[in-house]
Amino acid sequence: MHMPEYTAKIKEISARLLKEKKVEMVIGFRKGTVPMMNEPCFVKMPEDVKELVWDSNCGINLANYLTDRKEKIGIIAKGCDSRNIVTHIIENKIKREQLFIIGVPCKGMIDKNKITSMFENEINEISEHEEKIIVKGEGFEKTLNKNNVLQKNCKICIHRNPVIYDELAADLLDEQKDIDRYEDVRKIEAMAIEDKWNYFDEILSECIRCYACRNACPLCYCPTCFVDESRPQWVGKSTNPVDTRTFHFLRAYHCAGRCTDCGACERACPMGIKVRTFTKKLEKDCLELYGWEAGLSLDERPPLDTYRPDDPEDFIK
Amino acid sequence: MRLINIDKKSWTGGLENLYGNYRLFGPVKNNKHHVFKELSKGELPDLNYLNTLLSPKSIVFSQSETMFEYSLDESKEQHHILKEINKDYSPQALIGIRPCDAASFQLVKRNFDTPEYKDPYWLRAYESTTFVGLACSNPCSTCFCTSTGCGPFHEDGLDLLLVDEGENFIAKILTPGGENFIKSAGWETETDPVAAEKIIKNMKIKAEKKIASFVSTDQLKNRSAIDLYAAPFWEEIAFACINCGTCTYACPTCWCFDIQDEVSKNLGIRMRNWDSCMFPLFTLHGTGYNPRNTKMQRVRQRFMHKLKYYVDKYDDGIQCVGCGRCIRLCPVNIDIRRVCDMMNKYEG
Amino acid sequence: MEDWEPRIVCFLCNWCSYGAADLAGVSRMQYPANVRAIRIPCAGRMSPKFILAAFMKGADGVWVSGCHPGDCHYLEGNYYARRKFALFKNLIEYMGIEPGRLHFSWISSAESTKFTSVVKKVTLAVKELGPRKQGIKRGVYG
Repeated sequence: MHMPEYTAKIKEISARLLKEKKVEMVIGFRKGTVPMMNEPCFVKMPEDVKELVWDSNCGINLANYLTDRKEKIGIIAKGCDSRNIVTHIIENKIKREQLFIIGVPCKGMIDKNKITSMFENEINEISEHEEKIIVKGEGFEKTLNKNNVLQKNCKICIHRNPVIYDELAADLLDEQKDIDRYEDVRKIEAMAIEDKWNYFDEILSECIRCYACRNACPLCYCPTCFVDESRPQWVGKSTNPVDTRTFHFLRAYHCAGRCTDCGACERACPMGIKVRTFTKKLEKDCLELYGWEAGLSLDERPPLDTYRPDDPEDFIK
Repeated sequence: MRLINIDKKSWTGGLENLYGNYRLFGPVKNNKHHVFKELSKGELPDLNYLNTLLSPKSIVFSQSETMFEYSLDESKEQHHILKEINKDYSPQALIGIRPCDAASFQLVKRNFDTPEYKDPYWLRAYESTTFVGLACSNPCSTCFCTSTGCGPFHEDGLDLLLVDEGENFIAKILTPGGENFIKSAGWETETDPVAAEKIIKNMKIKAEKKIASFVSTDQLKNRSAIDLYAAPFWEEIAFACINCGTCTYACPTCWCFDIQDEVSKNLGIRMRNWDSCMFPLFTLHGTGYNPRNTKMQRVRQRFMHKLKYYVDKYDDGIQCVGCGRCIRLCPVNIDIRRVCDMMNKYEG
Repeated sequence: MEDWEPRIVCFLCNWCSYGAADLAGVSRMQYPANVRAIRIPCAGRMSPKFILAAFMKGADGVWVSGCHPGDCHYLEGNYYARRKFALFKNLIEYMGIEPGRLHFSWISSAESTKFTSVVKKVTLAVKELGPRKQGIKRGVYG
């Protein structure tokens, strides 16, 4: 199935849910005002479902919009969104009964930074047709293979199908097999210690502390984030590199065992910082140490909320 | 006002002459995008650029700026007394700044330079700066400068406007500051002002025609602030917002900051850092009460400030130069053009 | 740098390691004076922020010590802590802080000998690495 069919099906289901008053609102995406951007939106009237779209620019994680909501909600969920919905349910940020999950088997989102950097001139229009992405700007038109311009997290995704849903907007996909998800992490792990330090200094050098990475993340819902605490003040407010590093370190650590590698943080970063580099390490360790992948089941506790008596402890004296 | 011709062959030499008399800043491409940064000796600004990712406001109003230091060591003289930090306010020049960004300094000046209060740090940095503009022949699709009283060849806030003619620049000297800059560089080929003005005018018309995006602001002044404040569309506009500070930090006209003390051992500093009305902490009272506790309130505040309160207070248009950065960088595609039109249309 | 002595911040569980330190003291056992002990109610109370704050303020090493598995005063605090520590330790190293600067141990309140021997080991390890060069937040900037 192709994107227009996805969109048509999403509209059909949404309109039905709203008409039958099964939900009070449907949360989805509408077409953005600039290329490669769609805007998360809600629809409350059946006649407004025409706004909804689905394409390769729906990289924001919609689970982020569910936190503490009280209504009955229809939500469009790709693989990673659905895993974050599971995490939200486990963490009591929403109730399963409140949700009608419209599952979208996801073929991956395109990397807007990567595509933008491929062209000298501004991109004015992007369209997609099956596996092709057609990029147009003043004086140029180029067709790209979608597979080559996917967001990195999508490229290595092995949970494209939603893990939890009430109805599907398309047929389930074959999951990608034989994927090395941690190649990048291993590269850093193999570096000398000073090189690691410098590597992170380098990738964080442009951070403006806007907190887009934190705020785009469905996991970050603390009423007061540690960066905003003032007694004691754990993290300074300036652009001091030590503070910036501490912020990114703790942000990632707070996502340990919960992160689904949806890539919303990296997508949201206005400076193009590879913030997934931090969370990916924790994801790898949770898998290796505790056999855990976030958001796959409603019945298991996340790894830092449980333990086994025989957990690895060779690092403890 | 004088017009001169700068042959591009003499460009590097001119910059070399300037180096030493000015600290030069210009757009440079790092591995990802263009940024405004201080040019080292021999480094050339890359003038073949659309616009920098973030606005150059940080050169005059840095994101983190230490103002004072103090010692808490009671054995020292003048302990617990704030002492101003020495800073370099020697002449600096922003080479290749876009007219929209240059205009933004004039809007920001309204806040930092009033008859009652003058912000010494901003003013000193501003007054030490020569704004060497680069006219914009290829505006982006998100540029709407012509709707904000600005434009791709706009001259307000500039000391000098460079117009790229291919082999050479036409330099339109607009202020004595611009004159000094040109003298210091040693560019002195006079050009026929009538012919040059004509060329500039034609290029300007062409560039303005390329602006593809517009907003209507004509009714904003007539609308009631209370009606707009209570308008039903805010929930829908704010829905996608994740309350990050991207729009405010990228914006050339956002001027808010927060003052913080940091003490390590006996040495303290007082600094100011950019703050953002998108953050809940921005309005949090000491009591714990927060008058803008929901994201809808914060989003509304940002747009109302730029598009209504500012309009009412200064009666000189909106607090926006149409650079389009917030549109390009917003992680969730909240578009000020759309909001502005909704506000302009709203009759209560 | 010969006379340089590392500063090591150690967080000791009230119910075990802190008691061990006490016992080592009343027994007049000798150990390097490089550790600054902070008492915490349980290893489970240990927040990653404490460790980062210590590093940020210039600690050359950090050491956290709690009760042996199965001995937690609150039954399972140290089990939870163990998972947090494992991930934290790996992440610290991943981001470029030498692993020899962060140590964990289980020491019961009777194990004063173990306490002194771990102090020695930790101090030696940190000493070998020398003073920290990066990641310390210092006074004036910007």
